Amino acid sequence: MIGPPSASGIRLAALLVGLGLVVALVAIGALFLGSARVPPGDVLAVLTGRVKGVDQVVVLSLRLPRILAALLAGGALAVAGAGFQALTRNPLAEPSVLGVSSGAAFGVIVAQVFGLGAGLVEAVGIAACAFAGALVAGVAVYVIASRGGGLPVHTLLLAGVIVGIFFSSAITVLISVLDFDRLGGVVHWLLGNLGPIAPTSLAVFAILTAVGLWLVVGQARPLNLLALGEESAQQLGVDAERLKRRVFAGAALLTSAVVAFVGPIGFVGLIVPQVLRMLLGPDNRLVIPAAVLGGGAFLLLADTLARNIVAPAELSVGVITAFCGAPFFVYLLRSRAPLAGP
Amino acid sequence: MTRLLGALGLAGLLLPQAASAFTVTDQTGRRVVLPVPPARIVSLVPSVTEIAFTIGAQARLVGVTDFCDYPGAARQKPSVGGMISPSLEGIVSLKPDLVVATTAGNRHETFDQLARLKIPVYLVNPVSVSDVLDLIARLGRLTDRGEAADRVAAALRERVQSVSARVAARPRPRVLYVLWPDPLIVPGRGALVSELIALAGGDSVTADGGQDYPRYSLEAALARNPEVILIASHDSTRSPLVRSKWERFTEVPAVSAGRLHTVDGNLMHRYGPRIVDGLEILARLIHPDAFEKAVQR
Amino acid sequence: MTAPLVECAGVGFAYAAGGFAIRDLSFAVGFGETFGVIGPNASGKTTLVRLLSKVVEPSSGRIRLGGTDVAQLSRAEVARQVAVVPQDVPRGFRYTVEELVLMGRYPRAPRRFFESPEDRAAAQRAMEAADVLALRETLLDRLSGGERQRVMLARALAQEPRLLVLDEPTAHLDLRYQAECAGLLRRLGREAGLTIVLVSHDLSFAAELCDRLLLMSGGAAMRVGPPESVIDEAVLASAYGCRVLVDKHPISGRPTIHLVYPPG
Repeated sequence: MIGPPSASGIRLAALLVGLGLVVALVAIGALFLGSARVPPGDVLAVLTGRVKGVDQVVVLSLRLPRILAALLAGGALAVAGAGFQALTRNPLAEPSVLGVSSGAAFGVIVAQVFGLGAGLVEAVGIAACAFAGALVAGVAVYVIASRGGGLPVHTLLLAGVIVGIFFSSAITVLISVLDFDRLGGVVHWLLGNLGPIAPTSLAVFAILTAVGLWLVVGQARPLNLLALGEESAQQLGVDAERLKRRVFAGAALLTSAVVAFVGPIGFVGLIVPQVLRMLLGPDNRLVIPAAVLGGGAFLLLADTLARNIVAPAELSVGVITAFCGAPFFVYLLRSRAPLAGP
Repeated sequence: MTRLLGALGLAGLLLPQAASAFTVTDQTGRRVVLPVPPARIVSLVPSVTEIAFTIGAQARLVGVTDFCDYPGAARQKPSVGGMISPSLEGIVSLKPDLVVATTAGNRHETFDQLARLKIPVYLVNPVSVSDVLDLIARLGRLTDRGEAADRVAAALRERVQSVSARVAARPRPRVLYVLWPDPLIVPGRGALVSELIALAGGDSVTADGGQDYPRYSLEAALARNPEVILIASHDSTRSPLVRSKWERFTEVPAVSAGRLHTVDGNLMHRYGPRIVDGLEILARLIHPDAFEKAVQR
Repeated sequence: MTAPLVECAGVGFAYAAGGFAIRDLSFAVGFGETFGVIGPNASGKTTLVRLLSKVVEPSSGRIRLGGTDVAQLSRAEVARQVAVVPQDVPRGFRYTVEELVLMGRYPRAPRRFFESPEDRAAAQRAMEAADVLALRETLLDRLSGGERQRVMLARALAQEPRLLVLDEPTAHLDLRYQAECAGLLRRLGREAGLTIVLVSHDLSFAAELCDRLLLMSGGAAMRVGPPESVIDEAVLASAYGCRVLVDKHPISGRPTIHLVYPPG
């Protein structure tokens, strides 16, 4: 019998609605939780516009942008990870393996350490320095890995690791010459800086993430074919080189945007796609769109914990994603099928 | 005759001791035994370097770190590198008879290595204003500049008391001090800046933060309605545009009243004599009306 | 030979690493023909498969598909006409049979995110033709070698191609599956009128199934023609560098090859 029309389309829609509900619930919860201890009634009052004052600042200018930033960053990292894993046919591939996140972090730290022409940097924004660093790293990886007009996957991974190590070492050198005052700030930033960001920054972040998502999500079907091996995929009509360039560019853009606006956050890009593949199967047309929402929910949950557990102090969100993500991942690994290849 | 012999004998007993052992206890309570008062001192702590110059002991200073940049003359001294990884060869080649280091900024490995090389290490760890004054006195005794040190300490103490007196009766505004804006890092319970703010007549909203300089929640800080926000700058340039990130929180009293100021971080965080300069600046920013008359004159 | 579907004229190809894999190759494959490509290792057989499916492009000469130069067609356009059945799928491939067969529908509508009902119908027909419909929900890892090959054949058929290229179809198959494969290919050639290019180092298999053979050696064509003329002791000895004996298959009458083993 012929299956129902667009069965996968319906399945995807149901999946997105379900995940969307999860995201909405976590987001609403996060709006009510925080170290400023705003009573729920007051939160509602702020949302309906009845109350001004500091509570409004807390809920609308601090919590809400932070929640949105977490959703964007989580989705961006998860999609970058999923895309990169599919591209390299390697389940261990992670956005930081691209080398781009180290380059972006280096750009930001250079700006922080040298207060590069203070006026210029502040005017253009730390984000621009992150992109400059990411661009240098990305181009370096691409140039190193390119071979005879193509982008072989194993050299791409190797080049990404090498460039990443280079920039990480450069960061270490910079840190070692920092005076004590600034050392703490920079080191904390390196652990992830998910915080309340200004509306204009949030808008730019959203646009860049949207572009990156468009570059990767749209390629879900040919990425499935890539799992057959590049040659077989080409024999099925896939332009493998163009696909690799596009997904690499998309993943690099998503990763740089995250580092630029919320600092380096690891582990999300590795664990979220793996978990989704274990639950949904290997089809990227389900996994990658689900990663947009699933990654966002995961990071938002981690961030809500990070900013409430030791209130009024805060933990870095990267600490939570590692400490909570790792055991959960081990549990999944033991209870289900072996590590899911993309 | 026997009394003379007895006196000579006693003198004989005393003299070698006076000549052979100059024993002091450092600020962490360790005994440091030196054969003579130190004449060649390497300072691994910028604030110690500052104090040495202030009390006139700079002649005995043979080595400093890259971060010892105040006063300007300190930069003329040979440098042994950074605070975290100073060059041991560099230190040894200066033939010091004492190295002054801090447990908050230098590494234990450095002290251990120096101990193995039989170079005495004097450890400091000031955390409060009184610790700083104590440190000045100690360094005075170490370098035979005790009188100058006492004068400096007394003058500083007087300035501190003067500030306290001026702000004593006034209500204490809530102050938010931003060491680093992004992520937000603030002075907590043990930090020197917290004490300075209290002495300056302010009430730091982050004083309950556990460790010295914790990473803090911006919403918790702002929810306490700070009336004054002070942002530390870490280089010589003022950064006016950093303020724009804060100016969007118009509901916060400090922002709506325009009491958003940048302060020179170097004055507040180094445990040297300039903390009193920092204290006076803080007091003027927190209680401007208490100092108007002084400025006008 | 009927009107040509595939025409290779003076085709040459060199890999970037150096060395000519193919030089001055010219031959044609007629519509509905079953055409075999045989020859020793490194004779250029695999490269020919890549050229026919536009994985690589010739450095000299021209390949025509149904009259059009392949160089002017996009990969997807080529994939609509040429379907390759590879030797195997990668290990750890977690898709089901149906999902794999549906992948063959990609070149028909590359811009679609999900397959259409027409795609699903075509996949179903392909699975029926390759006799794997009962396995549609099964994971590929669970299948035997012969079943996997039939699944890949189904995927190729789902592309609705004019030309089917099989790369070493009997390489990993048990005898039973070799026989099944032969029967299946015959049926496809006869009933569906499919043009088949069969690349194999199993000379007897190729001789049994094919209307014509191309013997390659050192990247060039050594001989083209019906099996009886190509499967010749002197020709094979020269191409493979060893003595062979040629006999006739007792049932089909096609040439069979026997290796002459050295006494030791």
